[in-house]
Amino acid sequence: MTGKKVVVIPCSGIGKPIGTVSRETANEVMRLRPDAADTVCLASLTSGDEEAIKKVKNNHVITLDGCAKHCAEKNTQACGKEPDKSYMILKFAAQNPDKKPEGIADIGKDGRELVKTISKKIISDIDEIIQNEKNRV
Amino acid sequence: MEEDEKKLSKIGIVSCSGEDLPEGTISRLATLEVLHHKKPFDTTTICLPLYIAGGEGDRMFAKNHPTITVDGCEKLCAKKATEKYSGKVTHSINVRDFIKNAAEIKNKSNLNDSEKKLVSEVADVISLKVDEILKENNK
Repeated sequence: MTGKKVVVIPCSGIGKPIGTVSRETANEVMRLRPDAADTVCLASLTSGDEEAIKKVKNNHVITLDGCAKHCAEKNTQACGKEPDKSYMILKFAAQNPDKKPEGIADIGKDGRELVKTISKKIISDIDEIIQNEKNRV
Repeated sequence: MEEDEKKLSKIGIVSCSGEDLPEGTISRLATLEVLHHKKPFDTTTICLPLYIAGGEGDRMFAKNHPTITVDGCEKLCAKKATEKYSGKVTHSINVRDFIKNAAEIKNKSNLNDSEKKLVSEVADVISLKVDEILKENNK
């Protein structure tokens, strides 16, 4: 492991199930890559919390957005950090029509399958980012 | 926004997203419980990060609605961000004020019974506060 982690920032959109999918994906990625992945409360970036902004600036970032407003990406950029990668979770959902999340509070079995599918892609990105970091050192 | 117009509005509930701590999930689920089940006709919400990512209309939220913020920790991000970008909040709730045994609150998903109970308690408090604000505004 290098010193830097990959901070996965989901939008957590409260109005749509896909926001919960982004949130659950960040949780799943941290569960599977505890040494490499981290997260930060998106609301703390919005409120201007210095500790959160420092964490984002000093690490790699992947943003996961649920809708075209791109809140996770834009709030990250607003604190002076360009994400290494930015994903629109809605695109994964469109590519996996059989894995449709049910509700906002509980995305259901199919929603959890979608989370697993997206998590594999994010973990692959994290491994690549960390490997590139090691190669540079 | 004139005060009379604000009196006619639904009550806004703004939850922190709190991805980094279990209490963030509690605040989010308690907010959803009120929005969808307890007070669906009296409440509305906004995704908090829209204060930065959205437009002027999003930043008018607390000016258009008497607003309750629901936070998961002492940083009070929902309250601070709302007051920084949108307007003064009517009431602020911190989930941690309702935790009796912190060791039981540990999951960000797949909540245990203590965490589910806390969601219910916080939702009850939000709901009561909605009633109070509605009563006050209808005087």
